[in-house]
Amino acid sequence: MTVQHGTGQYVSPFDDRVRPPEPLAPRPAAIGGRTVGLLDISKNRGAAFLDEIESDLEAAGARTIRWTKEIFSKPATLALIDEIAGRADLVVEALAD
Amino acid sequence: MQSHRAPPLSVAGVDPAVVGLDDLTARGAALLVFVSEECPTSAMALRALGPLCAGWQAAGLTAAAIFEDPLDVALRVARRLGWTGRVLSQPPPYQASRAYGLLSVPTAVLVGRGQAIEGTVVGWDQPGLAGLIRQAGQMLGAGHAASAAAAVVLAQPPVIEPLLKPGCSSKAALDPAVAAAISRPAAEDELEEMFERGWTDGLPVVPPTVERVAAMLGSADGSQTLGPVPPSMGEATLERVAACAVLAGCQPEYFPVVVAASRAVLDPAFNLHGQAVTTQPAGQLIVVNGPVRRAIGLNSGMGALGPGFRANLTIGRAVRLLASLCGGAMPGGLDRATLGQMGKIGCCLAEDEEASPWEPLHAELGFDPSQSVVTVIGCDAPQNISDHRSRTPEDLAYVLAWAAASSWSTNWWPLADPSVFVICPEHAAMFRDAGWSKRRLREFMFDAVHRPAGELRRGETTPQVQSAEADTEIPKWASPDAIVLLVAGGEAGRYSAVLGPCTGMGSRIVSREVQPG
Repeated sequence: MTVQHGTGQYVSPFDDRVRPPEPLAPRPAAIGGRTVGLLDISKNRGAAFLDEIESDLEAAGARTIRWTKEIFSKPATLALIDEIAGRADLVVEALAD
Repeated sequence: MQSHRAPPLSVAGVDPAVVGLDDLTARGAALLVFVSEECPTSAMALRALGPLCAGWQAAGLTAAAIFEDPLDVALRVARRLGWTGRVLSQPPPYQASRAYGLLSVPTAVLVGRGQAIEGTVVGWDQPGLAGLIRQAGQMLGAGHAASAAAAVVLAQPPVIEPLLKPGCSSKAALDPAVAAAISRPAAEDELEEMFERGWTDGLPVVPPTVERVAAMLGSADGSQTLGPVPPSMGEATLERVAACAVLAGCQPEYFPVVVAASRAVLDPAFNLHGQAVTTQPAGQLIVVNGPVRRAIGLNSGMGALGPGFRANLTIGRAVRLLASLCGGAMPGGLDRATLGQMGKIGCCLAEDEEASPWEPLHAELGFDPSQSVVTVIGCDAPQNISDHRSRTPEDLAYVLAWAAASSWSTNWWPLADPSVFVICPEHAAMFRDAGWSKRRLREFMFDAVHRPAGELRRGETTPQVQSAEADTEIPKWASPDAIVLLVAGGEAGRYSAVLGPCTGMGSRIVSREVQPG
């Protein structure tokens, strides 16, 4: 976009389009009976963290499914996102160690 | 409380360009926050409420900041203050403010179903705003047939001292003569204005006037796009690429190289996304080969990695500005580099093909030597390698290779991502005189640097080192192909350099031919 200054105009290097925020998914009141996806992004010791989370979730009556991203430094593929969205009610993602 | 119908609204926005009340109340209710740039209380309100807007939006309450300022000023201020709601602007004579009877900013107006005004809060009034938000929650809850009268829980404005703070006069309420008397002069320092707008990497820039951007574009179509720039996925229209080239200080004849480099870094195989946001210091090395080097005055000789040459410095800078401004990777923002490195201001190297005993990089990558090609490589900062004493190519190759033994991390062996060696002409001449090919040097360097796994088990190390027998020899590189060899630098002096890798990004070396402008 061009912006006015004094008697001239500048070209903005920004993409100033405003993206509407993504609505948050509804939060369930309890996790018992729910399927929780556990996403390991392939960072060091992410799996160890998820092991602990998985134990706690199972103790609370949730089912778990584990997924692993191919590489931590790239966004998850749409196929993986779709699969998680289709099979899990909730997701826990393990980030950096 | 008696409600009355909200006056119609027609204010400027980005996509769509004109926004009305229907748009803002489409999801249920709207919170109109009238503000102005100069008003500190407006800034306080935007900063306090800004982070809550996304959550409100999800629940059906659209928050919109309506500035009494030009749209670009509004966007800049909103971005700085962390406002996540809609950003709108009204020009003089501020019809929207007049229609809503504003005396001061900030003023928050809650508009509910049927576009009725349900409440108004003037100034920063935390209890008043909290009440307004609770009212919005009750209104939205009552709108759900299944849960009549159950309030939707909306995040409350934070308790910030002082709880009450008066605002500033609305521009709509100013006497025009008074407004003219207190307005700032139009002609301010243009270079300071660039900092003010955030159109900088921290150094002064060349203001991207429409005239300069048009000259940079030449016959290119400014609306053509090179695709989204990660991490925030701003669209790299050629007009924005040209604006970045102007800001960086490029001359128009550099633009085809800037475009080729931009295309290369935007190739998903390069993974600019990962490099842009990582805590590691990754920069993007731009290597230029072919006739364009001489045509635009790129330096491949003395000080090839240093200051002094406009083409080298500004081309590298233009690509970095594209990533940080259009792509949103501002240091301290989405760019999370712990330390960073000076190469992140820009790093553009022309290979000295004439001084090289070997095929140039682009020929090695499958291009014809007569083509002009830009190649991008994710890299760490250069490390100097001094060697004035080697008298055999074997000794020199050993010194060069072992200089990189601590690249990335002391005990992180092997490295799979490319390490770039910039060989100075005097060093290159020794290999030329001995008849060494690039392949031979690369394989010698690969074979030279290895250590037993048992000696690499302190601190950060690789799974390969951890699982190997203690006496298993681990090479520094995963293969000879992880060693990239370039020739550049002054005729005198035996100083080469190695640029360590950007690891963990799955980043490939990417090349693009330079298309004539």
